[in-house]
Amino acid sequence: MAKVELKNLTKKYGDVVAVQNMDLTIPHNEFLVLVGPSGCGKSTTLRMIAGLEEISGGEIFIGDQKVNEKDPKDRNVSMVFQNYALYPHMTVEENLGFSLKIAKVNPDEIEAKVKDAVNILGLEDLRKRKPSQLSGGQRQRVAMGRAIVRRPDAFLFDEPLSNLDAKLRTQMRTEIKKLHQKLKTTVIYVTHDQVEAMTLADRIIIMKDGFIEQIGSPIDVFNNPVNVFVATFIGSPPMNIIECEITKSNNQIMIKLDNDILVHCPKDKMGKLADLKKVIVGIRAEDIVPVKSFSNDQKSIWFFSKAIDLAEPLGTETQIFFKLQNKEIISRMYNPRPVDVGENINFQIETNKIHFFNYETKKAL
Amino acid sequence: MKQIKKIGFWLLVLFLLILICLPGIWIFVSAFRPNPEILAKPANWIPDRWTLHQFTQMFSINGYVSVPAFKYLMNSVIISSVSTVIAITIGMMGGYAFARFNFKGKNKIFLSLMLARAVPGISLSLPLFILFAKLGIINTSFGVILVYVAMNVPFTIWLTDGFFRQIPKEMSEVARTDGCTRFQAFWNVELPLAGPGIGAAAIFAFLLSWNEYALASIITRTVHSKTLPIGMMDYLDEFTINWAGMCAIAVVMIIPALILTFIVQKHLVSGLTFGGVKG
Repeated sequence: MAKVELKNLTKKYGDVVAVQNMDLTIPHNEFLVLVGPSGCGKSTTLRMIAGLEEISGGEIFIGDQKVNEKDPKDRNVSMVFQNYALYPHMTVEENLGFSLKIAKVNPDEIEAKVKDAVNILGLEDLRKRKPSQLSGGQRQRVAMGRAIVRRPDAFLFDEPLSNLDAKLRTQMRTEIKKLHQKLKTTVIYVTHDQVEAMTLADRIIIMKDGFIEQIGSPIDVFNNPVNVFVATFIGSPPMNIIECEITKSNNQIMIKLDNDILVHCPKDKMGKLADLKKVIVGIRAEDIVPVKSFSNDQKSIWFFSKAIDLAEPLGTETQIFFKLQNKEIISRMYNPRPVDVGENINFQIETNKIHFFNYETKKAL
Repeated sequence: MKQIKKIGFWLLVLFLLILICLPGIWIFVSAFRPNPEILAKPANWIPDRWTLHQFTQMFSINGYVSVPAFKYLMNSVIISSVSTVIAITIGMMGGYAFARFNFKGKNKIFLSLMLARAVPGISLSLPLFILFAKLGIINTSFGVILVYVAMNVPFTIWLTDGFFRQIPKEMSEVARTDGCTRFQAFWNVELPLAGPGIGAAAIFAFLLSWNEYALASIITRTVHSKTLPIGMMDYLDEFTINWAGMCAIAVVMIIPALILTFIVQKHLVSGLTFGGVKG
C-alpha cells in the first residue's frame, strides 16, 4: 500500500526511445490506466516499475524507497500478465501459495492466505486443479489470486483481459474494479482498449511514442482532449475529424465544412480562429444529431443536410455514415427510424460540443 | 480389395522390420551358441545348442576370465555417467543462457559451438593423442571423460536451448515478481518445465558416450580405462576371431542402451523436434 512515483523516467533500446522523460505520481489506492496504441511505451513503463526492464535514466520510487537498483523480488509489487503465466506444473493452490513459500512463510499462514484469496475470487472448487484444466476466465482469476495473496504495495496489470472473449472480458472488467474497491491498493493497469481504460480508471494516461499525451479522469479526457490523437483515441466510434478552411467575409469568420456547407465560427472561438487559414474540427458521433427540421438559432447551432452512404442499425441507435470533405463521418441516431441509403438527412450540431484543433500543431484551441 | 491392400502393406512392414532387426537378432542368437556353429555354412538360423559359456567366462563366474568384461562395463558406466552429468550441467546452463540472455557475440558463439560438432572427432585424434600423452592423461578415465564432455556440451546446449525457448519468458518474470531470485525462478519454475527435455538430452549424451568407439580407441590402452566397445576388440586375436565372445559383449553393451532408449523414446522425439523448431 503505497504511492508510486516516476521521475524523468527514460528507456532506450539502442537509438530507439521507448519511454521519454516520464514524470508521474500515482497516489496510494489510485487505479491508474496507461492506454495507447502498440509500441507507445506503456508496457515498457509497467515493466520498468516491476523491475523486469532496466531503466536508461530517471528514478522510480515505490512508497518512499528508490527502487532503481532493486530486483523485482524486492519491490513488493505483483504483476498479472496477458497470457496469465500460471505455473503449469503446480495446482491452483500451489500457484497461489508459491510467493509465500518462497518467502518462507509458515504453512498455516500460507493456507490461511490462500483460502482468503480463493474465497475472494470464487475458486473454492478448483484448488486442486492444474492450470491446463481451467478455462480462460478461471486462469485469469488464478493469476489475479496469485497477485493478491502477497498483499503487494501495487498491482501491475499488463493487458490482463485481452486473451478473453468479449463477454468474459466485460465480466472480468467488473470483477477487477470490485477487487480494487475491496483491496484498496494502488493499481497500474496497461491496456490498448479504450473502453477498459474509461470504465476502470480513476485516472487515464494516454501515451504515444514514449510520451504522455494527456493525463486526467476518464470524463475529463473524453470531454477535453488536448490534441487530435487523444480525441480520436478515446471514445467509440472515434471522434470525427474534419480539416476545414476558414474564410472571412463581411467581418464574419466562416468555416467551410464541405464544398457547399459554410458555417459560422462560434463566438467564443473567434479570437482563436481569426488569424488561421485552416482548422481541424472534431465532432463526436453522438453530437451530430439527425433532426427533422432546422431550428432558428443560427448562432449556436450548425445545420446542414447531406445524402447518406450507409446506415447500420444497432437496436438502440443507428449509426449513419456520410462524407464531409471526402472523409467518412459517423452520426448516431437515437430512437432510430428506418433510413434509406442516399436519403437526404438534416443534421444539427451544438457549437459548444465542437472541438477545434490547430491545423499545424494538432493541439486543442 | 481393400483387405488385400492392407495385408500387403503389413507384409511389407514385416519384411522391412526383419531386414532392420536382422543384425541385432543375429548378434543376440550368436551370443548364446558355440563359435563353430556361427561359422557354419549354410547359416544355422536357430541354434542347436544354447549356452551361456561366453557370459560365464566374460564375468569369470567359473574362475576363468576370457576378457575382463566386468571391468570394461564399469569403465563404460563410470565414464558415460560422469561425462553425461558434467555435460548436461554445463549444457543446461549454457542452453538457458542462450535462450534467455542477450550478450555480445551470442550468435557467433552459438554458431561456433554448432560448427565444433561438425568436425569429425577422428580427425582430431592425432593432436589429441599427442596432447594427452604430454599431459599424462592418456589411458585414464579422466581423459576419456574430458573428450566426451567436449563432444556432448555443444549438443546438450543446442537441445536445452530449444527447450527453454519453448517456455514463455513470462514464467520467470512472474516468478521474479513473486519474490524469486533469478536462480530461484530457474530452479523452481523453468527447470521443472524443461525437465523432460533435459532428461532426453542427458540420455542422448549418455548414449553417445556409451557407443563411442573412435576416440576411445586412441586414448584408452589397457584394462585400466578401456570401455566396452574397445573391450570388444580383445576377442580379436592374431589368427582367430571369437565371434561368439564378441556377440556376447555386444549384447552386454546393447541392453542398457536399449532400455534407456525405450524409457525416453517419447521425450526423445519431442526433444529433437523441440530443439529443431525454435521460435
